[in-house]
Amino acid sequence: MNKKPNQFNDVSKLTEEPLVSYKTEDLMKLPYIDEEPPIEPPKEKWLENYDFSLDGHTDFDIPKPKSEDEKKNLVNRFLNGLEKLFDYQNNWTFGKIFKLSMDYCVGCQTCSEACHTYIASGRQEIYRPTFRSEILRRIYKRYFTKGGKYLKSFVGADVELNYKTVWRLLELSYRCNICRRCAQYCPVGIDNALIAREIRKLFSEEMGIAPSELLKKGTRQHIKTGSSTGMTTPAFKSLIEYIEEDIHERTGRKIKVPVDKKGADILLIHNAGEFLAWPDNPAAFAILFDAAGINYTLSSETFGYDSVNYGLWFDDVEAARIGLRHLKIAKELGVKKIVVGECGHAHKSFCVILDRMLPGEFSIPDIPRESCIPLMWEVVQSGRIKFNPERNNFPFTLHDSCNIVRLMGIVQPQRNILKAVCAKPLREMSPNGVKNYCCGGGSGFAIMNTLNFAQFRKKVSERMKVKQVLEVFNDVLNPDINKMVVTTCSNCKGAMRDAIGHYGLWNKYRILYTGLAEVIVNAMADIPPFLKWEFEE
Amino acid sequence: MLLVLFGWLSIFIFVAGVFYRIVKFASMPLNLRWEVYPVPHESKEKRIIGASYMEEVDWAKKPIHKSLWGEIVEIGYEIFFLRKVREYNPYNIWAPSMAMHWGIYLLFTWIFFLLAENVYDIKFLNKIINITGVVSFILGASGCLILIVKRAANADLKLYTAPVDYFNLLFLLSIFVTGFISWWIDPSFIHSKKYIKDIISLNPSSVPFAVILNFLLFELFLIYMPFTKLLHYVAKYFTFHHGLWDDRFKEKDSTIDRKIIEQLSYKVTWAGPHVVGGKSWLEEAQEYKLDETKSDKGKK
Repeated sequence: MNKKPNQFNDVSKLTEEPLVSYKTEDLMKLPYIDEEPPIEPPKEKWLENYDFSLDGHTDFDIPKPKSEDEKKNLVNRFLNGLEKLFDYQNNWTFGKIFKLSMDYCVGCQTCSEACHTYIASGRQEIYRPTFRSEILRRIYKRYFTKGGKYLKSFVGADVELNYKTVWRLLELSYRCNICRRCAQYCPVGIDNALIAREIRKLFSEEMGIAPSELLKKGTRQHIKTGSSTGMTTPAFKSLIEYIEEDIHERTGRKIKVPVDKKGADILLIHNAGEFLAWPDNPAAFAILFDAAGINYTLSSETFGYDSVNYGLWFDDVEAARIGLRHLKIAKELGVKKIVVGECGHAHKSFCVILDRMLPGEFSIPDIPRESCIPLMWEVVQSGRIKFNPERNNFPFTLHDSCNIVRLMGIVQPQRNILKAVCAKPLREMSPNGVKNYCCGGGSGFAIMNTLNFAQFRKKVSERMKVKQVLEVFNDVLNPDINKMVVTTCSNCKGAMRDAIGHYGLWNKYRILYTGLAEVIVNAMADIPPFLKWEFEE
Repeated sequence: MLLVLFGWLSIFIFVAGVFYRIVKFASMPLNLRWEVYPVPHESKEKRIIGASYMEEVDWAKKPIHKSLWGEIVEIGYEIFFLRKVREYNPYNIWAPSMAMHWGIYLLFTWIFFLLAENVYDIKFLNKIINITGVVSFILGASGCLILIVKRAANADLKLYTAPVDYFNLLFLLSIFVTGFISWWIDPSFIHSKKYIKDIISLNPSSVPFAVILNFLLFELFLIYMPFTKLLHYVAKYFTFHHGLWDDRFKEKDSTIDRKIIEQLSYKVTWAGPHVVGGKSWLEEAQEYKLDETKSDKGKK
């Protein structure tokens, strides 16, 4: 095991050997897990074409540069992009916070213990929140500041820039979930997670390099087909029909899910992944909103049935394109507001990020958009629906989505709901609320499965959440007792599914996951129980 | 006379330098919202759990609570108690950091009292000056020294410490040590008061070398500080108020909206294959291209 590079220049080593390599026993110990699958090295057949030289993992199936010209070209394009990150015409969106974060970090390392990836990895130096920032800072100083040019290593402008440095920096930007817990801890307000995001942006906006799940099969596909899942309008409509039939079969209720209803009060917009992977979630919304008499609609317009905006994680240009189309649909439908379904980053996109990304007519008072969670709490406490909390008489915990909780401050309504519709008290993880740990699937990780990236996710980035879940249920781990992790985000559900499968939490301990709407509907007294206690990988 | 003039020059450069930096920071573009909760200007009930106005249904139509007091308390905790360092830092640097920062605060307080005593002839300040000065020098020197040792001895911290960081700490240390020596040879700071009087009256006189050195180093520090990351105490106003705590949503035709409209007219020259290029930000959002056959060669 090699935990600590001796100096930052190690990232420039012209070697195929990973900068660090670790085994399962080097990672943070997990309670109640005696055995877990070992960390496998990359397959031999991959090594010739793809670069694993950071930590033996990658999601990039981009062939390594072979010729000197290709390598030089990569470095030059990187430098062009880096210059643009500091140019306010090209980066007005985050230029100020980025520049301040680059210039005023005092190197106290207070942020380190905030990072679930760093801790869970057994404190591998390369995953420390400041590591990638410091490399970028040293390159920036060397190439773009007078101090760096003349004083060189005295001011830390000493990182050798070659194609390996560039590539390892790219990889490093995808070892951070951008949960921004580190920014919450920093006494100076430095945002190392933003720096990771800006590195991603440099590669995407300047070089077109991003994980294929985020760019090619993500935002590009979203723009081309209307959904990052590739779902088209006819496919969406037939899924709605399926959901209506399913609701009828399970509850006896014939519910017509409103689609493209002009002048409805609310446009409800789900993550399209829900329709495909967890259709019970949009079904639960349909049952709940129908029972509450909410005048709402879904949209079958392209963009209108998929709330995701992957641009948030790596590309401002793509984020603005998708966001603009989302808001236009609400305008065309003439709804009073948009309500975002259970998807964390879509919450932040609609309610926070798009606010200053588009001009006046798309301002929040003109097209109000808000989270589904306060609305669901309003429904629960309104008395319009009769709930039987005994239906939810199982131990449960709540995983807080970083985007909804730490980055939007929606903390209490989901807790109020669970208190109202569950028989047992909420088991809070430690820490929770705005200080929660990320699920490990944030910023795109949950859907990144090219080459062996999923191994990093399962072993390292999801590890802290697995520890928290096991600890919160430590007194009821008996497999005769069903236990539930409730979460309000598709990405988090994806990560929970991944972790439960990998660590065998369902098979060993009967730990399952679900969305919030399903738990509410499960407690509705006048229909049969709704939750399914089955685990599907 | 040169020393007297240098004293004034250092104050001028310090004030001008800090002002220049503040203007530079304030004139940077308005960034997208990027807040992190807890945001301290929320109501007490919400602030305690890190909640926001977005917990309400129809929040855009409701009055938003803003508590300046909440921000002042939060800022005060950070400035005077370095709360986050105390709670979260794993390297036990809180005590020396507190000592160093309080050494600096008291150093400026000491200088301020020296000026006040000279200008207004307030006799009762004498005792306060004596105490403030010596406490500043002892705290500041010990804090800097321990931080230097910690940074050099702890492998984790050492990796992130460039020579200039040691230089900064040594620079500060030299001010506190020479201050301590000047107190040692002159416990009532009679010569320090004289030095300040000379600067105010533009009338140089003879003071011990240790006192001259102490003030000379302090004056050099005033000139140096605004152009280094030692100015983080100013930068953090912007990282917090314009970043982590900026939860203002915009309204049509508001100041924020006009600023955003202006920034949306900036030209995009990113060279990625999916970027149309040469268009404004708003046009890029409107005119996406589906065909990515454009060369992906980088361009400036």
